[in-house]
Parts: sequence; C-alpha cells; structure tokens
Amino acid sequence: MIPALGAQYLGAQLPGVDLVPATFNYAALSPILVVLGVATVGVLVEAFVPLRSRYAAQVGLTLAGLVAAFLLLVLLAVNHQTATAGLKVLGGAVLGSVIIDGPALFLQGTILVFAILGVLTMAERLGGVGADAFTPMGSATPGSGQEALALRAGSMTSEVFPLTLFAVAGMMLFPSAGDLLTMFISLEVLSLPLYLLTGLARRRRLISQEASLKYFLLGAFSSAFFLFGTALLYGYSGSVYLPDIAAAIPQGGSELNGLLVPGVFLVAVGLLFKVGAVPFHSWIPDVYQGAPTPVTGFMAAATKLAAFGAILRVVYVGIESARWQWSPAIAVVAILTMVVGAVLSVTQTDVKRLLAYSSIAHAGFILVGVLAFDRTGVSGVMFYLVSYGLTTIAAFAIVGLVRADGAEATHLSQWAGLGRRHPWTAGTFAFLLLAFAGIPLTSGFTAKFAVFEPALRSGATGTIMVVVGLLASAVTVFVYVRIIVLMYFTDSQNDAVAVVTPSVMTTIAITFGAAMTLVLGVWPTELLQLSASASQFLR
Amino acid sequence: MTNSYIPLLFLLAIGAGFAVLSVGTSLVVGPKRYNRAKMEAYECGIQPTPHASGGGRVPIKYYLTAMLFIVFDVESIFLYPFAVAFNSLGLFALVEMVLFILTVFVAYAYVWRRGGLDWD
Amino acid sequence: MSLSHYIYLATILFSIGAVTVLLRRNAIIVFMGVELMLNATNLAFVTFARVHGTLDGQVIALFVMVVAAAEVVVGLAIIMAIFRARRSASVDSANLMKL
Repeated sequence: MIPALGAQYLGAQLPGVDLVPATFNYAALSPILVVLGVATVGVLVEAFVPLRSRYAAQVGLTLAGLVAAFLLLVLLAVNHQTATAGLKVLGGAVLGSVIIDGPALFLQGTILVFAILGVLTMAERLGGVGADAFTPMGSATPGSGQEALALRAGSMTSEVFPLTLFAVAGMMLFPSAGDLLTMFISLEVLSLPLYLLTGLARRRRLISQEASLKYFLLGAFSSAFFLFGTALLYGYSGSVYLPDIAAAIPQGGSELNGLLVPGVFLVAVGLLFKVGAVPFHSWIPDVYQGAPTPVTGFMAAATKLAAFGAILRVVYVGIESARWQWSPAIAVVAILTMVVGAVLSVTQTDVKRLLAYSSIAHAGFILVGVLAFDRTGVSGVMFYLVSYGLTTIAAFAIVGLVRADGAEATHLSQWAGLGRRHPWTAGTFAFLLLAFAGIPLTSGFTAKFAVFEPALRSGATGTIMVVVGLLASAVTVFVYVRIIVLMYFTDSQNDAVAVVTPSVMTTIAITFGAAMTLVLGVWPTELLQLSASASQFLR
Repeated sequence: MTNSYIPLLFLLAIGAGFAVLSVGTSLVVGPKRYNRAKMEAYECGIQPTPHASGGGRVPIKYYLTAMLFIVFDVESIFLYPFAVAFNSLGLFALVEMVLFILTVFVAYAYVWRRGGLDWD
Repeated sequence: MSLSHYIYLATILFSIGAVTVLLRRNAIIVFMGVELMLNATNLAFVTFARVHGTLDGQVIALFVMVVAAAEVVVGLAIIMAIFRARRSASVDSANLMKL
C-alpha cells in the first residue's frame, strides 16, 4: 500500500519530527518588521503612485518608517533597562534565531540613525526632478536615446528608497542573528539591494555598472564561502545555533572534530569580506568609487557596522573558546589590513578611492578591538563604529557637493584651493579628515583609544597590533594633512570646480555628522557609558 | 514488503500505456499533410533560432522572463515544507503563509504595473 | 556507501565552483561557478542532516535554494545591463578602474 510506504519512509528517515510551534516576541522584532513593512509599501508606491508624486511619497514614507522604527527601538531599549537594570532579557525572539540583546539594540539603533542620514543625502535633488545621484533609468544603456528619453519624461529610479530599506532591514538582522542560517539570509538581504544601488549612479554610468558587477561577483563568491563554512560547523556541532556550536567546542574528540577550524575560517572569509579586511578588500576601492556618492557613504558606515556586529556575535557567542586555534590568523589579517589600507591610501589621486583605502585601514583598527576578547573590547568596537560611521556619511556627503560642470569633481587636483573659495565646506571636510586621522578633540581619537586600550591589556599579540596600528595611523595622518594643505595652501588652476548649494536635507546630514564628530571627541562619556552598558551578549 | 511497490508498477504501466496509446492512435488515425513549416525544428511559440554552434544567440529579453520566472517559481519552495507539516502547525502557519504569498504578490504587482510583462 | 563520500563530493564540487570563479572570464560562467558552490553546500548540508539525524540541514537547503534564486535574478540583471552597454560579458573588459 502506498500510505504504508510513505509512513515507513518517514519513520526511517526523519527521526524526531516533533514540531515545536515557534514563539515570537513581536515587540522585540517590531523595528525590523516596521522597516520591512514600509519597504514593501514602497514597492507598491512604485507600482501604483503616478510618477510626479512618487518622489515625495517615497522620501516621506521612507523617512517616516525609519523614524518610527527608531522610536520603537528606543522604547524597547528603555523598557529593557528599567525592567531589568541592564541584565539580559528580551532574548530568543524567534527560537533563538534572532537575539535582541544589548549589542543588538545598540547596533540596530545606530544603523537606523545611519539610514536616516543616508536617505537624507540620497534624496538630494539639487533642483532636478528625481534624486540627483541616481540615473533616471537603470535599465537604459548609458548614452542611448532611451536614456535621454527617460530623462525628458522626468522618470527616476525612486526604487532606491525601498531598496535602501530592504538593505537596512538586513543590516539590522545581521548583528542580531542567533544562528548562522539567519546570519546568511540577512547577509544576502543586506547585500543584494546594495549590489543594485551601486550600479545606479547618474553620471559615469559605465564605471558604476562595472563597480556593481565586481561587487556582485565577489560578494556572491564570499557569501558562498560563508555558507560552506556554516555547513562545516553544522557538521561539526549538529546545529547552526551559535550557543550550540559554543557548547560543542569543549566536548571535542569526535570524528568530525577536524571540521571546526576550516568551518571557522570559511565563515570568517564571508564576514571579513563584508568589512573589507585584507586580503578580501579588493572590491572596496572600485565599489566606493563607482557607487553613487550618497550610497557609498551609507554603505561604508552601515555595512561595516552591521558586519562587525555579526563578527562580534560569532566570536563572543559562538567560537570564543576555540580562539587559540583561529585568533593568530585573524590577528595577522588585522595587521595586514591596517598596513595595506594606510600605505595604499598614500598613492591615491581620487577622493573616493582615498576614503575607500582609509575605510580599509579603519577596518583593521576595529579588528584590533574585536581581538581584545573582553567586554571593554566590545564596547570600544561599538563606539568606534558609531563615530566612524557618522564621520564617513558626512565626508561622502561633502564629496558629493564638490562639482565641476555638474559632475562630481573627485580628482584630488580639482580640490586645490577649495579652502579659499568655500571656507565652510572645506573647513568641515578638513575637520572630518582630522577625525579619520585620530587627532585629539575629534571622535576619531576617542574611538582609537577605546579599541586600542583593551587590546593593550589583552597580551603580547594585542600590544603588537596596537603598535602597528599607531604606525599606520601616523601614515594616514600624512595623507589627510596633505589634502588639507592642498585645499588651503595650493593655488587652484581650475575655477570650474565649485561647491553646489545643497537642500536642507543634505545640510542636516552633514551638520549632524560633523557635530557628532566634535561632540564624541570632546564629550564622549555618555556614548561610552551607553556602549559599555550595552556590551553584554546574551548567550 | 514487495507488495507496497505494486501500485507504483501499476502507475508506471498506466503512464507508459497512455503515452504509447495516444501517439500510436494519432499515427494511425490522424491525417498526414506535410509542408515546410512542419518539417522545421519546433520551438515553443517562436521562430526557431539557428543552431548554437552557428553563433545563434537568445534575445536578451528572455533573461527578463527567466528572472521573473525564477522569482515566482522558487518562492513556491516554501509551500512544500508548509504543506507537509500543515497538520501539526495549525492556523498560525496558515496566516504566515498567506502573508508570505501576499508579499510575493506585491512583487508581482510591481512587475505588472511597470511593464515587465509586456512582450515587445 | 559511507556518508563521508558525500562530504568529499561536496568539497570537490565546491572547489570546482571556486576554481571556475577564479579562472573563467565570462561573467555568466563565473556566476555559474558561484551557483555550483552553493549547490555543493546544499549537498553538504543534507549529508550532515543525515549524519546527525536532524532535519535542520534539509530545511537550510531550501532556504539556500531561494537565496540562490534571488542572487541569480540580481546577478542576471546586472550582467544584462553591462552586456547591453558593452556588447561583452567578459570580466576582463570590465577594467575602467585600475589601481
């Protein structure tokens, strides 16, 4: 009989099929759900709202959704603290697949702030119909009649706003993923929209598309490594949940023992690719240069934050007890990243590429903090990510304003003498560069201190990394000071380069980023305390 | 043990029988009129393209159709485990599944309204 | 047959996929290499699910298939746009940005 066959099959092959109904803590998930819901509504807006009111609808909807999600998150975090005095609660939202603990709340809130600032810069129109940074028609061949037609018809890719929201949802999920499958899914959810956003620049379309292709192929390649590593760790421990993997490590001794180290390294490849650590950094300069400038700023800040959040969780919840087997290799990666990022930034002639190499060096500094293996390291890394992200978004927003004949003037020679003609813009940019360099009274200094100090206490390897880090910082100081000299003390040969006057949205983003860079440098106590009290992972 | 495979064999026999019978019947009963169009290679609904070895290329719009097909086809993967476990999951899973399918339809609405389904 | 053979097969397929990505020049074929890597991983997941007697691995395989499909769609869209602009899908011709 057929039914007998079926039952027999099930009995033999699928033992232990007792399905536990999932329990959801919808309150803990609500910020992510709001972002995803608004993104879905945004797709419907694209489908049904007429072209002329689409821009206003999308920008309003996106900002409202992000602000609402942020308020929900604050409410959640406040309740979390008052109810239990900062101890671990609210955990295990979806059978442990999503863990909303202190670091998760902290990082999600920061991502939402970055997203609000990022959307403000992306929505900049500069007097045009649609967002200025994005092509009117992504599918049209660059320079074709179809593209000109789309421009005349006033069409625009307002899809960028729902795409950004989907990416934000993925980024929020990434550092709160309690198992490696959820982590992989959120990695893809954050990456796929970014691949598309990268290819939508209005000007220099070919370079933008090329950046998109490179980002996509390398990103897909690295996420395949992440997935294979996940498979090996699943084979090792019989589970993809990080606490289960952590529990399996001390037992050891089984025939599958050899899977641990390869699994850890393959997972690390996927995660280190996203933060742009050497030797997985080759995409960063090309993608940062080719992507629309507001997208670059948002991506540099938020992707790095989300990916480091995920690294922290994998390290501190999952594989810390096996750290003697893998941390030396990661320390080498950190040192290489700092050195390569700093040294190669010296030779750059394009502002966006220069900031890209600087972002590689910063990834190395942050890795030093990750390898400190204690709570102060976690809080230092989180503080660093916040301050670096705010500075980066403001810096790229300014890069997007320096124009020659309507297009962005990204070549360094075009920036000569900018300080005399546009003192405010150049002054702000110089200040942000000093923050990247880590000069005192900027957030960059506090942040470097916050990651180097725990590393110094962690032992000999930490000390070596800090020494290399300080040397690399010295190299980057040279690079940034050179730009400042160029802006203020070099005569310009090119009067065509000018700073366009942005709308109030971009102004808010730049002002906020620059102001926070100053505040976190002069008066960092509040945020340091917040990141310290949020640094306990729920295991 | 072997008993349980007998229905499968029956199914196989019925399937094979149907195929042979229908082709055979049309061979015997059907009219035979040959023309050029009938002798050409058959590709569903379109002009046959040249051999791939001769540099035959597929129009690029097939990729668009392929992409849309993949999206809507693969989403249905989640229906299989849902269907298998439906009895033990109950109402909650049904609601989740309806929400999931609604979300897929949002994508469909976008494609439809923005002309992704217009051929040519 | 021992289950470890499946793991070896998965590893070999994964390596073939990785080598394809590194050596081939056509973007579509590079992309097929990535897909091969994902499918090799699926094989590993299903095998480990059998080894441990849990269902997780089989469910994960379904998720991976969906993610792979989404990746195909995004990837084909990007490659298609590039192909239309340049009449070439070779990754070597994507060289406007060099160090």
